[in-house]
Amino acid sequence: MHQRDDTSDSPAIAHTAKDRKPFFTGVFVMLLLLTGMSFWVANSPLMDNPVTGWTAMMAISTAKAMLVILFFMHLWWEKSWKYVLTVPATIIGLVLVLLLIPDVGNRFATYSKTRRTSAPEPYHAAPLPNSLAGQSRAGQVASEVTPSKESQAE
Amino acid sequence: MTTSSHPELTYQPALPISNGKLALWLFLSTEIMFFTGLIGTYLVLRFGAPEGTWPSPQEVHVAEWIGAINTFVLLCSSVTIVMAFENAKQNLPAVAKKWLWATIAFGCLFLGIKAYEYASKYSHGIYPRYPRSLMYDRADLTFLNGVKLETSKLIKEALSTPEGTEVAIAEDVEAVDPASGLSQITPVAFEESHSKVTEAEQLQLIQSGLVKWTETKVGRTDDPLMQKLAIEGLAYQIYPRTFPEHYADRIEKYFADENAETKRRFQELSEEVDGRQQQLQASQQELKKLEQDIETSTDGEKKNAVRAKFAEAKSFADDLTLETTRLTVERDFVAGRLEAMAAFPPGDDGGVNEHHHLKLPMVIPSGNTWANTYFLLTGFHGIHVLIGLIIFACLLPMRLDAARSGLVENVGLYWHFVDIVWIFLFPLIYLF
Repeated sequence: MHQRDDTSDSPAIAHTAKDRKPFFTGVFVMLLLLTGMSFWVANSPLMDNPVTGWTAMMAISTAKAMLVILFFMHLWWEKSWKYVLTVPATIIGLVLVLLLIPDVGNRFATYSKTRRTSAPEPYHAAPLPNSLAGQSRAGQVASEVTPSKESQAE
Repeated sequence: MTTSSHPELTYQPALPISNGKLALWLFLSTEIMFFTGLIGTYLVLRFGAPEGTWPSPQEVHVAEWIGAINTFVLLCSSVTIVMAFENAKQNLPAVAKKWLWATIAFGCLFLGIKAYEYASKYSHGIYPRYPRSLMYDRADLTFLNGVKLETSKLIKEALSTPEGTEVAIAEDVEAVDPASGLSQITPVAFEESHSKVTEAEQLQLIQSGLVKWTETKVGRTDDPLMQKLAIEGLAYQIYPRTFPEHYADRIEKYFADENAETKRRFQELSEEVDGRQQQLQASQQELKKLEQDIETSTDGEKKNAVRAKFAEAKSFADDLTLETTRLTVERDFVAGRLEAMAAFPPGDDGGVNEHHHLKLPMVIPSGNTWANTYFLLTGFHGIHVLIGLIIFACLLPMRLDAARSGLVENVGLYWHFVDIVWIFLFPLIYLF
């Protein structure tokens, strides 16, 4: 068939490197190692500073994506048409996201007071109520409670 | 017309690829924009959420290892479709078909694991639902009201059969057999209604001992910090996962203190009620005696005096009864609180929802935004996987030889793209 002749990503390579299977297996192993690596980063001291951890994980993900795009999707062996189709799409996608930052990303900066009262709120250590502040009998209370708790369970 | 020379008309494609591949790459370039938009929106929402509110994976029952397994499964499927393509190119259709089958198996496994994950979220009440999900952004009066409404709804549900008739433990279980005219007890129905009644009792205890108590507590104090602490205590009892450790300690301390106070109050009220009841008995005996006196006395003047005394004693007894009733109600309320605290100890094994398999409203700050983005991202990805599987199924009846290798390549390109999307989703959803 006529079309099939054009299909081959690059006939030269297809002929010279007849069997790329071992190579693809190597790429697969690399991908697995990288996945393990990002799993390790997530549970490592790197996450003590989340920004470092996130950056590392995104870098690993990008490396994995590049491996898949370049070798599994054969873009490594393709002619320069690959840039025409992928680069503009990526740029437009990124611009779309960047446009969201002022409106959505910084939405809490412009909240009204009313809106703020129902916005998500984390638990944090606010000052204790007056009635509970400076309580020195906390330990005493605990010792009072523990035995009676048991007696209630019975 | 001259036919002397034959101009050699050769087809010169603009791009050195087949039309099918070009079309697929054009489609993929739109997909790049689609998923960049989706993932980017997720990132903007996630990092734009108020500081410290975005739920961590364990707060919303996201298991890292499940995500890791799914990543592995999808990577495997990527390499198998590559193998299918390579074998098809080398004109080995049988081997190619085997690799295609393996790809389909991995794809199905991925979807299966995804379905299991979704089910586990649903079972914990984590899903986007309009107009009200079970997730609240903060422990405030809206949340308290939500718990109240949901509890009474659940009680109503637990006490009614699917047809909407009230369940009575004994009556409904006993059904009269029309043939024999004898009543029969269906054990299954009994067990069902029994567990339903237990659930209803449990919910009623929550309603009085936790919800109503918190409402009363909030209503009886002017200190806004104290009100906040009371509602946060309720949130902690229902779903403690979202509480940072230092804050959980504070809530536990608050509960310990409150429980001691409640016990003291219960003691006080019990004594008071006992005292009033003795007084009441005494005054009733006195009333009886006065009644007899009225009947026995013959002297009109004396009778009137006794009557006046009786009226006085009667009004005293009435007041006493009222007071005793009030104190008894209060005592029972306090006792209900103690019972509820014993039945649902704060911080116990994942809280009321986890430990008792209930679905009461939970406080998960930014939880709704999380659920919306999670289900949208994984859902769209899942749909892509499903479509890929359908296309693979269409390839199955074909002979995957060198002539068809272009087709396998195109489907593979799509499948790899779906894999790339997951490569980014995995750390973003499971590890961040």
